[in-house]
Amino acid sequence: MAQNVRDVSTNEQVTSTRRVIAASSVGTLIEWYDFYIFGTLAKIISEQFFPKDNPTAALLATLATFAAGFVVRPFGALFFGRLGDLIGRKYTFLVTLVIMGGSTFAIGLVPGYKTIGFVAPAIVFLLRLLQGLALGGEYGGAATYVAEHSPAGKRGFWTSFIQTTATLGLFLALGVILIVRQAVGVETFGDWGWRIPFILSSLLVAVSVFIRLRMSESPLFVKMKKEGKTSANPLAESFKQKGNLKMVLIALLGATAGQGVVWYTGQFYALSFLQNACNVEFVQSNFIISIALLIGTPFFIVFGSLSDKIGRKYIMMAGMLIAIIAYRPIYSIMYNDANLKNKVEIVEKKVVTVKNAVKGADSLITTITTKAFTDGTTYKETVKAKFPVDPALKAALPKEKLKPETKKEVTLSQDLYYKMIGLVLIQVIFVTMVYGPIAAFLVEIFPTRIRYTSMSLPYHIGNGVFGGLVPLISTRLVEASRPGPGLPPADPLAGLWYPILIAGVSFVIGSLYISNKTNNMDVE
Amino acid sequence: MSAIKRIFGLLWALMGVGIVPLVIKQAMKEIAAKPSEENWIFWSIVIVVLMPIIAFSLITFGVFALKGEYDTLEDS
Repeated sequence: MAQNVRDVSTNEQVTSTRRVIAASSVGTLIEWYDFYIFGTLAKIISEQFFPKDNPTAALLATLATFAAGFVVRPFGALFFGRLGDLIGRKYTFLVTLVIMGGSTFAIGLVPGYKTIGFVAPAIVFLLRLLQGLALGGEYGGAATYVAEHSPAGKRGFWTSFIQTTATLGLFLALGVILIVRQAVGVETFGDWGWRIPFILSSLLVAVSVFIRLRMSESPLFVKMKKEGKTSANPLAESFKQKGNLKMVLIALLGATAGQGVVWYTGQFYALSFLQNACNVEFVQSNFIISIALLIGTPFFIVFGSLSDKIGRKYIMMAGMLIAIIAYRPIYSIMYNDANLKNKVEIVEKKVVTVKNAVKGADSLITTITTKAFTDGTTYKETVKAKFPVDPALKAALPKEKLKPETKKEVTLSQDLYYKMIGLVLIQVIFVTMVYGPIAAFLVEIFPTRIRYTSMSLPYHIGNGVFGGLVPLISTRLVEASRPGPGLPPADPLAGLWYPILIAGVSFVIGSLYISNKTNNMDVE
Repeated sequence: MSAIKRIFGLLWALMGVGIVPLVIKQAMKEIAAKPSEENWIFWSIVIVVLMPIIAFSLITFGVFALKGEYDTLEDS
C-alpha cells in the first residue's frame, strides 16, 4: 500500500515536472523563433522599411540589427531579472513572452516605407528593440523556473530542454520561412508573404501564454517570499557585492563568452561561410544547416544529462577545447570541398546564355554560365550588367556604377552535400557540449534571491555581445586578409581567429577557476 | 594551484589594461586610412560596446584573482 502511494506521488511529480519543462520550453522556443525571423528576413525587411537611399533609415537598419542584440538584450536581462527576483519568475517571463509576441505580430502589420514613409522604419526599430528587451528577460526566467523545480541530481537533464530551444527556434524560423516562401512563391513572399511568419507568431504565443498562465510559481521563490527573504535590491546585491560579482565575472569570462562564440560559429557563421566563402546555393546551404541542427539537437539533452553525472565544467571545457582545435581543419575541408579549382570540369557541358533586355532608358545584359564537374557538383554564374542605352550617358557614368553584379551558386554533389552536413553537425555537437549544461551551471552558482538577475546578465553579454559579434568581426578579419580591393582573401579562414581567441581565453579561465563540484549542489 | 591562479590574475588584469590603447590605436589607424561609414560603424561598436566589457571584466576579474578571491573555489 505504502509502495503504491509512493509510486502515485512519484508519477505526479514526474508529470508536474514535465509540464513545467514543456510550458517553459515552448515559450522560450517561440521567443527565439520571433527573434530569428527578423534576422533571417533582414534583407526583405530592409527593402520594405529601410531603403538604402535614405541615410537615416539605413542607420536605423544598422542599429536595429546590432542594438537589439548588443545593448538591449543585456539591458532586458537586468530589467526583467530584477523584476523576476522581486515579484517572481512566473509573471516576469509571462510578460516577456507577451512583449515578444506582441512586437513580432506588430512588425508583420506595419505598413511599408512606401506607404507611410519614415514612420515605418521608426516603428519597426522600436519594435525590434522591444524584441531584444523581451529576449533578455526570457531565458534567465525559463532556466531559473525549470531549475527551481528540478531535483538536484537531474538539474542538468531538465534544464537541457530549455537549451534546445535556441537551436529549435532557429530551425523553426528557417522551416516556416522556407515553407511559406514555397507556398506563396518567391515574388509574393518578397511582396507581402514575409509578413506571414510574423503574424503566425501571435497564434504560437497565445497558446504558450495559455499554458504558462496555468503554471504555478517556482516553489523555491514561494518559500523564500513566505520567509521574507527576497532581495530588496537585486541589482545592487548582484553586482555591488564582491562575493556575487566575482561569480558573475567567472560565469562571463570562463563560460558564457566562450559558449557564445562557439554557438554562433557552429550555427550562424557556418551558414554564412557556406553561402559567402563557398558560394553554396541558398536552399542547399539552408538545408545543410537545418539537417545538422535537427540531428544535433538531442545532444543538448545528452550532454545536459551527462553533466549531472560528471560535472558541468568538464563537458563545457572539453567542448570549447575541441572546437578551438578543430575549427580550422573543419572549415579548411569545407572550403576545399566546395572550391571549383579543386574539381575537374566537364567542358562539353558548359552552357552560356546571354539575355539582353531594355527597360526604359536602361539596358540589362544577363549572362548565365552553367558548368558541370566530374564529381557531380554544378556551378551557375549570373552576371547582370545594367547601363543606359544612350552611349553618351553610359560614357558619363563612373566606372563603379557600370560594374556588373555577379552571383555565384555552387550546388554540391550528393556525396559532398552529406559530407557538409557531417562537418556542420560536428560543430553543432561542440555547441551542444558547451551550451547543454550551461543553464544548470549558471543556476547553481547564484543564490535564489538574486538568481534571475545574476545569471541573466553574463548569459546575455556572453551570447549577445561576444557571440553576436562573430559575424561582424569574422567578416572583417577575412576582409583584412585581402591583399587588395576585389582580390580574393589570402586566408579565407581568417574569420575563425575571433571565436578561437575568445574560446581560448574562456577555456583557460574556465579550466583554472571554475569548480566542477556543482552538479549536486542544492539550489536554495 | 592558488599561486597559478594569482599569477594568471595579473595576466588578465594586464590584458584588460593593454587592450584599450591597442584597440583605440588600431581604430584610429584604420579610420584615418579609409574613413568610410562602414569603418566608423565597425569601430564604434568595438570601442563603445566590446572593448569596455572586455577591459572592465578582465581587469576586475584579474584583480580579484590576484587578491586570492578565487583560491577557495573547490576542485579548480
